[in-house]
Amino acid sequence: MRLRKLTLRHFRNAGFAALEFTGRQHFLVGANGQGKTNLLEAAGLVTALRSFRTTENKLLVGHGQHCAALAYVIEHERQGETHVTLKLRHDGKELWCDQARVTKLAEHLGKFPTVVFSSQDLQLVRGSPAQRRRWLDLTLAAMDAGYLRALQTATRALAERNALLKSGRASAAELGAFEQTLAPAAAELIARRGAGLKTLEKSMQAAYAQIADAAEPASLVYEPNFAEASAEALLARLESGRARDQQFRTTLTGPHRDDFHFTVKHTAAKDFASEGQQRSLVLALRIAQAAWFHEKSGVRPVLLADDVLGELDPARRARFWSALDPEAQIIATGTHLPAAELGAWQVFEVADGVFAEKEAVS
Amino acid sequence: MTPAFEKLQQHLKQLPGLGYRSSERIALHLLVEKPARLASLVSALEAAAAAVRRCDRCGNLAEGPLCGICADERRDRGLVCVVEHVPDLVAIERSGAFRGTYHVLHGKLSPIHGVGPGDLNVAALRGRIEAGEVGELILALPNDVEGEATCHYLTEHLAGAGELKTTRIGFGLPSGGGVLYADSVTLKSALEGRRGYH
Repeated sequence: MRLRKLTLRHFRNAGFAALEFTGRQHFLVGANGQGKTNLLEAAGLVTALRSFRTTENKLLVGHGQHCAALAYVIEHERQGETHVTLKLRHDGKELWCDQARVTKLAEHLGKFPTVVFSSQDLQLVRGSPAQRRRWLDLTLAAMDAGYLRALQTATRALAERNALLKSGRASAAELGAFEQTLAPAAAELIARRGAGLKTLEKSMQAAYAQIADAAEPASLVYEPNFAEASAEALLARLESGRARDQQFRTTLTGPHRDDFHFTVKHTAAKDFASEGQQRSLVLALRIAQAAWFHEKSGVRPVLLADDVLGELDPARRARFWSALDPEAQIIATGTHLPAAELGAWQVFEVADGVFAEKEAVS
Repeated sequence: MTPAFEKLQQHLKQLPGLGYRSSERIALHLLVEKPARLASLVSALEAAAAAVRRCDRCGNLAEGPLCGICADERRDRGLVCVVEHVPDLVAIERSGAFRGTYHVLHGKLSPIHGVGPGDLNVAALRGRIEAGEVGELILALPNDVEGEATCHYLTEHLAGAGELKTTRIGFGLPSGGGVLYADSVTLKSALEGRRGYH
């Protein structure tokens, strides 16, 4: 898909802005704190109505306003020209797609894929397992309604089982009732995560080889908390773990404690890889995510690159741009324009929430 | 408004389905527009509160020991449809498709909301099964996590009490509807629940 027009009203520091995107590559240039990332954030919201920076709607609505509005005109592979409108209030969101109100998020998820490359992505290597799980869940659920359903069921059943354990009056019969619901959904998550990470690893390896331009094998390793993706085995494990779970008052086994890690040259990237290698790994992972979205939905995601290349050497930077899907639309930000040999960019200068188009550089 | 009016409105607002505006409207209606209705409403409330109770056998609304359905000799007492709430029973009754009897649990298992087996009308169901009067138990509980867990609980801890067949109500496409407008979750369960044709 291609984002053709984006209009913002009362979004963050932009009072009103209307941008028309022509061509395939767009660059937002400006000093820090002018609102470049806000625009990427606005563009990325169309995918799952989630910001890559915050979970609080309040922060997205301009100061002193009670409603922000975003309007997208999208050229879509399957739906043709599509108009999407998103209204954000302090306490909720409203979404319209071609003038029709969308009330079920599940029906919207994955239709308009975008992938954000952000400097915060380093947390995927260095951060907590919870951050990695969240990324994995969002990536897999966006293109797979079955995954989303299994995730919702498992999350709810787990919350019920944990509430039971916390109450301190859990009977085996009640625990069993929720385990029967939890186990099949959890087993499905384990199986789909394993398969999904395998696919993601393949394209990540290819992208990493291209960016790093060195013979350093990289890999993505799934670390399931319970490795056997069968409902029966998990059910037996939950049952045998009841005494321990009751002692700790929470469920200690299951996919809610899964993790994955990166390796470079067969050692854990978190501990042994250099800053440059870690950055290259997460860029490669994002490229793999974009390829996954494209493969699963037939829709090419828009790539949103938020000043990610600052810390890379010029050679890696150039190789990063060439590792991207040559047909994908790219909206990038930075304090300096990219090197001239990287093709034509449509340039917007950003100052204090105002976006002014500049004559294209060649 | 006066303190007494506000107190009335507060009580109305706590009723399910009523918000600030509708509670205000009802209070005004009863006190100002049609005060004549007030006395009959109060006596109807009192009479209903005194007369209506739970059916000893199934938990449905009743005015004697048994509800109208349990008291009806023509209903098949071997066939018991387990529902979460009384309105679920009413909906099935309205369909006219069921000639068995019911069992109303008055809830479903949900530790998050502090609901355990002791809060549900399970003991009476156990009594019915142990008395040997139940041949088939139809589980018509919702197919969310709590509904499914309640079904598991019932089948594992009641079914053993007698020779009992347990079935789950079907989940799938609405009648008169095609596959086009069904959401993916409904379609999946409709496909899983397909059956032989002819």
